Amino acid sequence: MPEELNPANAKLPKHSKGMRPQFFHDPTSDKLLAMVMALAGEVSVIRDRNDTLERLIDAKGLLDKSEIDQYKPSKEVIAERDAWRQEYLSHILRIVDLDAENMGRNDVSPEWQAVMDEV
Amino acid sequence: MQPQDHEQFSHAVLPEATADEFARQEFVKSYKLHLATQVSPKTKTVYETQVKPSFEKEHGRTPKNRHEIRKAMNGNNHYQTWSSLLRTSQEMMWKSCQVSVERQWGKLVSEAKKKSSDKPAGGTLSLDPSVKIPRYLTAVDIHCQPGGYHTELVEDDVAPGAIFERAVYIYAMGQLGPMNDDMGASTIAYIQKTYPDFTPKRILDLGCSTANSTVPYKETFPDAEVFGVDVAAPMLRYAHARCEAIGVPIHLSQQNAEHLDFEDGSFDLIVSHILIHETSTTAFRNIMKECHRLLAPGGVVIHVETPAYKGMDDYDAFILDWDTYNNNEPFWGKSHEIDPPRAAEEAGFDPSKSFEAMAPSAYEAAKAKRTNVFQGGDFGGGGFWYLYGVQK
Repeated sequence: MPEELNPANAKLPKHSKGMRPQFFHDPTSDKLLAMVMALAGEVSVIRDRNDTLERLIDAKGLLDKSEIDQYKPSKEVIAERDAWRQEYLSHILRIVDLDAENMGRNDVSPEWQAVMDEV
Repeated sequence: MQPQDHEQFSHAVLPEATADEFARQEFVKSYKLHLATQVSPKTKTVYETQVKPSFEKEHGRTPKNRHEIRKAMNGNNHYQTWSSLLRTSQEMMWKSCQVSVERQWGKLVSEAKKKSSDKPAGGTLSLDPSVKIPRYLTAVDIHCQPGGYHTELVEDDVAPGAIFERAVYIYAMGQLGPMNDDMGASTIAYIQKTYPDFTPKRILDLGCSTANSTVPYKETFPDAEVFGVDVAAPMLRYAHARCEAIGVPIHLSQQNAEHLDFEDGSFDLIVSHILIHETSTTAFRNIMKECHRLLAPGGVVIHVETPAYKGMDDYDAFILDWDTYNNNEPFWGKSHEIDPPRAAEEAGFDPSKSFEAMAPSAYEAAKAKRTNVFQGGDFGGGGFWYLYGVQK
């Protein structure tokens, strides 16, 4: 056991020893599935936290929980949320956007070839 | 304090979770339950309606064993998805428990040390650094627990035990009860039913890990001396602190169940709970020989596992065998083919005194929620434990 390790600076091993089986023909699918489930887990964590908040606010009498469901966003709030979701989606769908921007430009361009020749 | 059915029983060394850590662990529990109750049944339907008919068309016969079913299923996308999801749930389970233990590591170590030196219950702990961790535990991290049972990273480490106790609760989705003690409690119920006049005086639990299955023996037979052995020091440190925290005196020592230092004929009951499948063919033989040496005449050894494959439907055996290939349990499959009378005879017992039994789960609160299926990722869901052993 190395002398300098203690509970304040030591790290637990993050992976188990042994081969991780590949289930799909393409290993990328296994990785993507693991990422999707990790994200699903984080959404669930946020949902539980939000639920806790609502219940505490309700219990403290600051707000009746049903008011949250009855809340009707104003025109301004709807516009703000619409804008936020567009921005949010553009982050998530960045890769699709990139594909679209590159459409028809997948051939090697003269500029690219010139740089390649130079380097 | 009576344990509540809806949550794990808390004590001085059970790691605490922040709200988000708890939510992450709860998610894994729900995720596993969903796989066991919603996705797994469809895996069987996919086999019956697609994979089996196509195998029959190709070969002109049905698959003849679990291995042929596995090879056929490996190419099926539903099975691939279920498997990938199940493996991922296992990894997320360990991670969700590790994060909280890492955060309170120092506190857990010092709390365990305190319980260990105060010894309020009167149990003992004896560690032996010369015990070599067997290769079947060092070659892979069993059931994907990073670092396995034995890895010690800090002085007086208890982290693997703390992670294990919380993870077992999530792994079994609470089906082992608030104290994770259903395997012990179910075996005790079987012993009391089968040998009503038997009051063991010295009891030994092999490969006891956090002593979660050991504790009920002392609770049921308060006059007995109860011993637990394990090769992993961090498990035993945690187990000792846990036993002292909940007030049950157990004598724990670091030993390999293949070669123990107890005297001949010094026990009248020897048990193990899901130990054998984590050993090897040679180790199992050695363990049985030790049991024969250590038991007094009339004494009983009982090993608790999930059911043997013998006589089981091939599909059911295939699905229960998932852990062998996908969950770092290399001896799982072979251990499910152990022949109890033969094993008893090889160890020097009278094979006619060997037995096999299906003992119903003692933890009845989980009854309604169980799938009653023995399948990968649904530990404790079968509602029964498979016991085998022999009387000397």
